[in-house]
Amino acid sequence: MTDDVNKNSSPLLSVRDLTVSFRTAQGPVRVVRNLDFDVPRGGALGIVGESGSGKSMTSLSIMGLLPKGGTATGSVRFDGTELLGLAEREMRGVRGDRIAMIFQDPLSSLNPYYKVGTQIAEAYLSHRSGVSRKQARSVAIEAMERVHIRDAARRVDHYPHQFSGGMRQRIMIAMALSMEPDLIIADEPTTALDVTVQAQILDLLSEIRQETGAGLILITHDLAVVSEVTDEIVVMREGVAVERGQVEQVFSDPQADYTRRLLDAVPRIDDEIGLMRTTDILIPSERRSVR
Amino acid sequence: MSTPTPLFRGTNLVKEFRTGSSNPLGRAKTFRAVDEVSLEVHRGETLALVGESGSGKSTTARLVARLMDPTHGTLEFEGADVTRAKGADLREFRGAVQVIFQDPYSSLNPKHTVERLVTAPLVYQGRKIPGGARAFTRELMERVGLNPMHSERYASQFSGGQAQRIGIARALAVSPKLVICDEAVSALDVSVQAQVINLLRDLQADEGFGYLFIAHDLAVVRQIATRVAVMSQGAIVETGSRDDIFERPTHEYTTTLLRAVPRINPEWDRRRRQAEASRGASVATAASGDEAGR
Repeated sequence: MTDDVNKNSSPLLSVRDLTVSFRTAQGPVRVVRNLDFDVPRGGALGIVGESGSGKSMTSLSIMGLLPKGGTATGSVRFDGTELLGLAEREMRGVRGDRIAMIFQDPLSSLNPYYKVGTQIAEAYLSHRSGVSRKQARSVAIEAMERVHIRDAARRVDHYPHQFSGGMRQRIMIAMALSMEPDLIIADEPTTALDVTVQAQILDLLSEIRQETGAGLILITHDLAVVSEVTDEIVVMREGVAVERGQVEQVFSDPQADYTRRLLDAVPRIDDEIGLMRTTDILIPSERRSVR
Repeated sequence: MSTPTPLFRGTNLVKEFRTGSSNPLGRAKTFRAVDEVSLEVHRGETLALVGESGSGKSTTARLVARLMDPTHGTLEFEGADVTRAKGADLREFRGAVQVIFQDPYSSLNPKHTVERLVTAPLVYQGRKIPGGARAFTRELMERVGLNPMHSERYASQFSGGQAQRIGIARALAVSPKLVICDEAVSALDVSVQAQVINLLRDLQADEGFGYLFIAHDLAVVRQIATRVAVMSQGAIVETGSRDDIFERPTHEYTTTLLRAVPRINPEWDRRRRQAEASRGASVATAASGDEAGR
């Protein structure tokens, strides 16, 4: 991986001192604090943490999609352009076009009233001027074929409810792919899916990365998923990166106490029984922790 | 293991649902959500029912709890047929079988205090609360690892893991013999999940209940199950001891399911434990005393 980075010295995405805060009646609350990380070109970074760790807010601030009342400070440089403070018009040229995002729940990201092909084409048209609807439609079909939706030429005219959860997630990925993004941010993309479907989607993400050379940020609570998919990992807890490094290094010799305890708590499918240890240190007492 | 009468036995359970037929005069179509399922739960053991969404595992749980009536098949509890039990018999059954659901917040009334939530099953069943509601609640809260001084709080004032403990305390209130956990730890963060699994295991060791543990997460099942039944499309495709299912699966679907589970490289785990052991040796007693706290 280091060799790849050296080929093109500047990373694709470089986040420095990122702090996200929200105004509340009790004063500002900082949900992400002084976060630093890089995504090399073609690299895959995993951001893991439990609920409330700030991992989703990190991705939303990169995309300029923070909810009302939230502000991000620090620096988010994407391919040489500073994204924080970028005018909305210019941000639109980046978001969805050069950085694509895939969310947990594909059903709520798709409009039930429109055919999936129309929605993929619409996304494409909104970013590419001078493209005919006919061209956009063939882009949609091609993108659906690339995510292995069989009979794409016919399925392009189906509505979201006619697809299973895994297929809908494929459509979201197709939509992201049609733009040929440089970076894909996937926020819990497989959390709502069955385990066999999850495996297919994770394979698909890896395949796409190899084919297109796009960078990937995978945000998840699932340490096993991250360990299989990404090269590097950032472990977040309550808005702070407590650990970062190569996946193998973090998993085999974690430096932070929190990472160690988290790894202890993960139930293993291929491990001796009863090794799962727990500790109260992980949960701040009165925080809701249902996902 | 092969006690003469299991705690619970379901035989050839079938649940069919009508699906909308466009023609009112035409024959109603039915969908078979549970297809000839037979299962047994013994005292002190955990039968895990695993499968993907739509496999019929939750419907099976509802049939076992008599929250839904089967289309065919029989349910026996401690040898007695409870398939169509009514009145006093049903009430007795309900006292012996409790369910813990996935989302603690939606299964706990937000307007009720812990005390009211936990004592509700006894109140509904017209039973006396031993020692009075306050003392009874506090004792149960202590048993599930909650601060007994918080008995006047509301569910929303607790974290997800704590709220799930309230759900467990409520299930314990009637001293059940069979506890059905329907994805009871699925929505919890990993650290909290481990705690709740350990609590469920400890309670079983103390009380000897049988668990029917419905889950889609096979790693969790590996940690808690005595036996495993794998469901697919309404039917049990394979059943066996935990080790048989995980180490020597025979059905193709079980193999597919197991292969799909993401896993942390065991070699990394081994190196981590080794590193930790050598670290632990130097830090010695301080850390281990800390860990024994929970």
